[in-house]
Amino acid sequence: MKPETDQILNLSALKLMTELAPAMGAQYDQGMTQVVAALLIMSAQEYDRAADIRAAENADMRALFADLAPMVGDAGLRKELEAAAVERDGSLRVSALNAVNERLRRLLIRLQVHVEDVGGDTRRIWVVLKAMAARRALVLPG
Amino acid sequence: MNDDLTARLEPYLANVLGVPDLEVANLARIPGGASRETYRFRARYSRDGVEIERGLILRRDPPASLIETDRTTEFRAYRAFHGLGLPVPEPIALEESTEVLDRPFFVMEEIENCQVGSILSSNPYGELRERIGRQFFANLGRIARADVDEIGLGDLEGERDPKKCWSHEVERWETVIDEDEREPQPIARAAIRWLKRNPPPPAQKISVVHGDYRTGNFLHDADGNMRAILDWEMAHLGNPLEDLGWAIDPLWSHGDPSRPAGTIPRAEALAIWEKESGLKLDTAALAWWEIFASLKGLAIWISAAREYAEMRNADPVNAFSGWYCLAFHNKVLADRLGAA
Repeated sequence: MKPETDQILNLSALKLMTELAPAMGAQYDQGMTQVVAALLIMSAQEYDRAADIRAAENADMRALFADLAPMVGDAGLRKELEAAAVERDGSLRVSALNAVNERLRRLLIRLQVHVEDVGGDTRRIWVVLKAMAARRALVLPG
Repeated sequence: MNDDLTARLEPYLANVLGVPDLEVANLARIPGGASRETYRFRARYSRDGVEIERGLILRRDPPASLIETDRTTEFRAYRAFHGLGLPVPEPIALEESTEVLDRPFFVMEEIENCQVGSILSSNPYGELRERIGRQFFANLGRIARADVDEIGLGDLEGERDPKKCWSHEVERWETVIDEDEREPQPIARAAIRWLKRNPPPPAQKISVVHGDYRTGNFLHDADGNMRAILDWEMAHLGNPLEDLGWAIDPLWSHGDPSRPAGTIPRAEALAIWEKESGLKLDTAALAWWEIFASLKGLAIWISAAREYAEMRNADPVNAFSGWYCLAFHNKVLADRLGAA
């Protein structure tokens, strides 16, 4: 689509910040408009990357589960990790990716608790968590 | 709506202040966070034959609050620290019933001709940043120095046992996350476990903790004078390092974590706090409270996200907090805890 959605959101934010907000008389209205503009800029970033972030996170978590499952002593947890590790994302709709992502995150939490409880090495888990946090970070206009 | 508020506020204030001719004028909503509705207005009245006009601020509970906070606590904190000589607005009236303005509220002095630094700005203070930063950390030290009983706040919510205040706060915010998270939060959960497994040393003293002492919650004038410390709604008793850890959190550093609050170098900030608080700074303990600060942030942002997503409070600030701030603190915590 031309113009692309993220461009529309960014230009709408620019319009709000540079023309509409300054013309508003009320301080509250100006402040709220600036926040809404920031939300539009964040939405523009998310439009382009949302599916990619979730697909990458899901793939990272599955790879982690495949790596660590053999070392998990809890048979029930190991079985769940092994099953999740071989799954693949179906629909690329964000809502569908989110549903899978939430299920995998719950499993990731249980895995980390288990590794911590047995005094295992959590560095591999933190590599995944750091990557997840880095991908989701947002950039605001300076 | 403002006309209706004006009509109802006018007789209330006239009665509270004992000035029957009081008029409320120019009432207008201003930004003031998502946890209270904030309005500015002019009050005109005569006393002993003298015509008086002063700016006042109305802080009213919203239909749903970001974090359930006690406006009575906030009002009492304003009163105590205003009385102590810190730059804090004079509190005027507290109304806890819903009869006057449908929701509880309080009224305080407006500090005029000032501005507030926005976290959206990369350099909110310009050439004034060092002057403002020195006052910012000195005033935080003075809050820490205050004797909680002498200023009448010894009964605030919180923990008075120096050995237990850390766990009290972790449990408090863990409960918030338990109740409000709408999706699994692996970094927040890992941070909670880390905080519990690596407890800090006991507090050197129990102080009033402002609870949200940061950029955006104080006013300064054009000469760089810090004129008002605001938003005491999360005030409680606890370890003064909790406030220091929050004040120097990277979220409030405007992109330069080496200058906490976007003001002065970290070492200078900590030295000023240490001098004014009269406390010896334990850097290892502070490191724990910095991790805690980011976890507390996550809890607040998770609550904000829920408020917005469930349309209990659709203030855009809640959407911003529940998205940008949540992502920010997840990264801060992952980088810090994952560095080991």
